[in-house]
Amino acid sequence: MRINSGVPRRTVLVGVALGAAAGCTDPGPPPPPDPLAALADRARADAALATAIASAVPSLAEGAGEVARVRGEHATALKAEVERERPPVSTTASAPPTTPPAAPKDEKAALKALTDGLTAAQKEAAGLVPALPRYRAGLVGSVTAACASLREVL
Amino acid sequence: MSQPGMPQETVAAVQAALGAEHAALWVYGLVSAFLPAAYDKALREGVAEHRERRDATAELLAAAGITPAPAEAAYVPPEPVEDEASAAKLVATAETDATVAWRAVLERCDDKALRESALAALTQSAIRATRWRLAAGSDAAVPSFPGQP
Repeated sequence: MRINSGVPRRTVLVGVALGAAAGCTDPGPPPPPDPLAALADRARADAALATAIASAVPSLAEGAGEVARVRGEHATALKAEVERERPPVSTTASAPPTTPPAAPKDEKAALKALTDGLTAAQKEAAGLVPALPRYRAGLVGSVTAACASLREVL
Repeated sequence: MSQPGMPQETVAAVQAALGAEHAALWVYGLVSAFLPAAYDKALREGVAEHRERRDATAELLAAAGITPAPAEAAYVPPEPVEDEASAAKLVATAETDATVAWRAVLERCDDKALRESALAALTQSAIRATRWRLAAGSDAAVPSFPGQP
């Protein structure tokens, strides 16, 4: 062990005190994003696309309408859970306005866009379930199951 | 997935899910007489999957030193089964009951392997419930949150 470090003890103590003081005021790195926020964003985007397809492709109107309804409810429930855990700092801030997505006019392409979206959403949600807190595991498990079930009505 | 010392609330939820699997198998057996051949494949798949789930669940409990709950001798359908539509509706009900039971397991366990298997059971039953609701001519084929009681 080196006894004489060459740094006067007083300097070290001052340095420690400054570091501690800095720790009090420094907000530190922001907390990691809530994983459910990404699920909520995806649900909202899926609902918007399904709404656009429901009006652009009459043959898919019924199924796409179901996707829009269910994924819209997912977005609402997931956002509520994110905000329950971490209330938003400003209540006036809202999501930036999004331009409605362009729906593929072609039935085949539209159907593929919907099913691919549901498959990706199911996978993303399922991947979170094993490690989530219990209440959230139930909610996200239901979202997973709903995405898989929606493919049956397309 | 052997886990000695399974928490009490997890045991209760898994036993309830096993009960839902027993009930679903009984229902599949009951309805087959009322459904035309076009349903044979769906019936076979449903029975095979519920049997597998029932056996795996009973083994999981036994491995934790718990006696798996046996099937009831018979079950009482909420409505009499008289034809194709009422038969399909009863299967949809049994599958829906299974989704509720398996989601409850998700909310009452922390074990990752059990979570994965409960999620698979919830998802597969939700898919089948949707198919049987469509077969029964139900309007709302996809609940927004399958398994939510």
